Amino acid sequence: MVKLNSRLWKELQAIDGSLKREDAVVLTYANLDLKEPSKRVKSYVVLMTDVLRVYTDGCLAVEEHVEEIAQLKTVLGVGCVFLSCERKNGEAILLARADNHYQTAIGQAVKRANHYLKFGDCDFSRFSSVGRTCPKCGKAFPRGSHTCPRCVSKKKTLRRLFSLAKGEWKYVAIAAVLFFATTGVSLLNPYINRVLVDDYITNTTANPFLIGFLGVILAMLGTQLLRRGLTVLRGYFLTTSGNRLTVRLRNMVFEKIQQLSIAKISRRTSGELMKRVNSDTSIIKQFLIRQLPNILEQSLLLAAIGLLMLFFDWRLALLILLPTPFVAFAFRVFWRFMNNMFHQRWELNSRSNAILHDIFSGIRVVKSYGMEKREEARFLEMSAKERDAQLRLERFWAFFMPCLQFLMGIGEFVLLYYVGDKMLDGVMTAGEMAQFSSYASMVYAPLHALMSFPRQFMQMMTSVTRVYEIIDETVDVPDKADGIRQEIVGRIDIENVSFGYEDSDEVLRDITLHIEPGEFIGLVGKSGVGKSTLINLIMRMYDVEEGVIRIDGVDIRDIPQETLRARMGVVLQENFLFTGSVWQNLTYAKPDATPEEVIQAAKHAGAHEFIIRLPDGYNTYVGEKGYTLSGGERQRISIARALLHNPKILILDEATASLDTETEKLIQDALQALSAGRTTIAIAHRLSTLRNATRLVVMDKGGIAEIGTHEELMQKQGIYYGLVMAQRDMTKMDA
Amino acid sequence: MKELHITDEEKAESKKNRTLAELSVTVWLTPENASFYQKNGFLYVRHQEQDSRAFLCRQFPLEMLWEFISVLDENQQEIGIVRRTDLFAGEQRELLETELKRRYFAPVIEEIIQVKERYGFSYWKVRTAEGTLNFTLHDTFRSIFRAQENRLILSDVDGNRFEIPDVEKLDRKSYKKIELYL
Repeated sequence: MVKLNSRLWKELQAIDGSLKREDAVVLTYANLDLKEPSKRVKSYVVLMTDVLRVYTDGCLAVEEHVEEIAQLKTVLGVGCVFLSCERKNGEAILLARADNHYQTAIGQAVKRANHYLKFGDCDFSRFSSVGRTCPKCGKAFPRGSHTCPRCVSKKKTLRRLFSLAKGEWKYVAIAAVLFFATTGVSLLNPYINRVLVDDYITNTTANPFLIGFLGVILAMLGTQLLRRGLTVLRGYFLTTSGNRLTVRLRNMVFEKIQQLSIAKISRRTSGELMKRVNSDTSIIKQFLIRQLPNILEQSLLLAAIGLLMLFFDWRLALLILLPTPFVAFAFRVFWRFMNNMFHQRWELNSRSNAILHDIFSGIRVVKSYGMEKREEARFLEMSAKERDAQLRLERFWAFFMPCLQFLMGIGEFVLLYYVGDKMLDGVMTAGEMAQFSSYASMVYAPLHALMSFPRQFMQMMTSVTRVYEIIDETVDVPDKADGIRQEIVGRIDIENVSFGYEDSDEVLRDITLHIEPGEFIGLVGKSGVGKSTLINLIMRMYDVEEGVIRIDGVDIRDIPQETLRARMGVVLQENFLFTGSVWQNLTYAKPDATPEEVIQAAKHAGAHEFIIRLPDGYNTYVGEKGYTLSGGERQRISIARALLHNPKILILDEATASLDTETEKLIQDALQALSAGRTTIAIAHRLSTLRNATRLVVMDKGGIAEIGTHEELMQKQGIYYGLVMAQRDMTKMDA
Repeated sequence: MKELHITDEEKAESKKNRTLAELSVTVWLTPENASFYQKNGFLYVRHQEQDSRAFLCRQFPLEMLWEFISVLDENQQEIGIVRRTDLFAGEQRELLETELKRRYFAPVIEEIIQVKERYGFSYWKVRTAEGTLNFTLHDTFRSIFRAQENRLILSDVDGNRFEIPDVEKLDRKSYKKIELYL
């Protein structure tokens, strides 16, 4: 019996009790009406062994017999998805409509249903049932993530963070001791103050000893020095362990990202990944070595001062603490307001930066259309908005802070009155008053710090969650422990392969292709038919969902990725050169290559000639800030890089597209000489590039439409013939 | 959504059916040369005595809801453009507009009941014409898009869209909740 969502099945049973559980194959749910666009209704689409039924709003809406159905399909709308059924006679029927929340579930159901319709079995084990929804709360995971932000446990996250600090306990313990010490020393100063006032300033009757007086002054200096010294030491221990912890965390994230498949990596932008490696980890570091210690110290101080004051005179302590709730309340009320203003200014600032970036990157376009004035106006307008926001913020701040300080100062007035009264009565000395008012003024600093704590804590937790999300990501193209590391001859067998990047979208459908060692295969077809996808699958950038790809008879999932890619050379249309010398770029995949080998490879790729003409020859610095090479030159370097790698399987994805016709011819000849003894798969839109191919594979709509040599396919007068004729026309037109 | 951009070689390839000159001509669909009907739930168009499934695409989905509507066939090739849906009358217009509303699904937010932020996500509870809805935004600032001066489009983590036609017309409480992100 197939596994179904039991809650859905129960709901469906309530509508139609005659459905038998053992006959059910696939069940899915949709929530929007087909006729009334904004109405929400419950729809259940169930595929039984012999019939497909759709129940909408509690009634049977569609019934189709399985033998008449060709396949189910999803059609994407904007903000919604449609489920349709194609009959074998070519007719299409709309079954249901759902908002995007159900897109993944419907996509997975369609795959299962189509498998059943095609093969007649219910073995759905090959379809990943990796939930896209949180098993705890049932809501969809955020895109590109498998952590549910609603259900993630704060405790668990914190525990994991602290477990990272395992090796640092000694340092942390020392830092903790230093904490108590600094707090203690901070509390000493007001006491010494009191001694100074009582024994040496107000005490006119006793004979003040110079030594005693000096002693008090020295004690004040000493406590200050001690406090600073302890703080420095504490800082040292915390920073050392904090930095080590961050580096560890950062390396963990980086290593994990490298292990992930292209599929998972490309779901996030490189900016986002960089943010996680760099800024998220540094937010955690900041929190651990600055904010957390600060907050601990301040709370300790607050508690100690509170206790001390209560111990001396509880009524006075309560009086001093009287404005505290008001200050806290004022902070809370204005906090959101302030936050909004800060956010707004930050957003405006980042927008005006974006405008600047935009204008400078496109300065050639701006100048060539003579749009300098308009761009200037655009920037000035944004700057003005930013200025206004800044002004609003400053004005408010200038008003708010003095008010707050006044409020805090009220405590001191009360203190003055109360203490003055007591002093006049002779119950309290001037020194005691000085000590008390010192403590009173020390109460507010911790309060202030404590108030920003929740925000800092949340920010840190967000970063920790984001970082752990990457660390916890499952490796979706895993290497087997007992992988086969044999030499590769170059035979490739692709059998019944189907694949889609998204669950609701199938890019390749049931592809079967056998490639002999040493063959030159040309992949031809319109863009978007799945040529590059097929190549990605052969390179195992993704794992196939259905079917199998074998190299020399071994399933590529059994070959370690490192071994697999070491036997493959790739030249893409857009080639990336790393920052470094031409030499470093050429020897990227073979760092121990000799100069002779490198020069030979560069000559074969037609790169040698232009390289030697560069000012620094093979040592020329290229990459982002280096010497600017033309597209064709970069291309030739990457071809040389692939040749030097000497792979058994060579993949050319539009490799010669950016070369001029003459260079292309040169490289074509070089490639032909080199493709001897290697399996070559080439994608090219310019069909003349593929004249050396032993076989051409024409792809159409995710499948293989035609296979054969150039002559065979021309005779057939099919898709390939059409493509060639169209290009001939174009060439004539160009001429 | 599928990329509808036509590359040069695609143009070249389809030349066996249509020449470049033909492709450059804009076909305006009017009640005189086109009629729409529904079959099995799908929209069909009859144009130049040919019937085909019709997929409607707004060319300016953020600005013009009922103008410049591309009508594509099953292969995503443009059959023609409807300049304004109100050029069609009665049932025909109804068919077109219903299909557009059905394809572009974005509930209109009438009131923001609650917004909670947690770990870089914000959880929204809103009232729409169809009732109360909950959704989640990731990177809230980037998920709220200003389509026009006061018109906002919110895209949630699932790819659903929500619309606020005029943010200034929201009640004060709702406005306060979204103000932070504007």
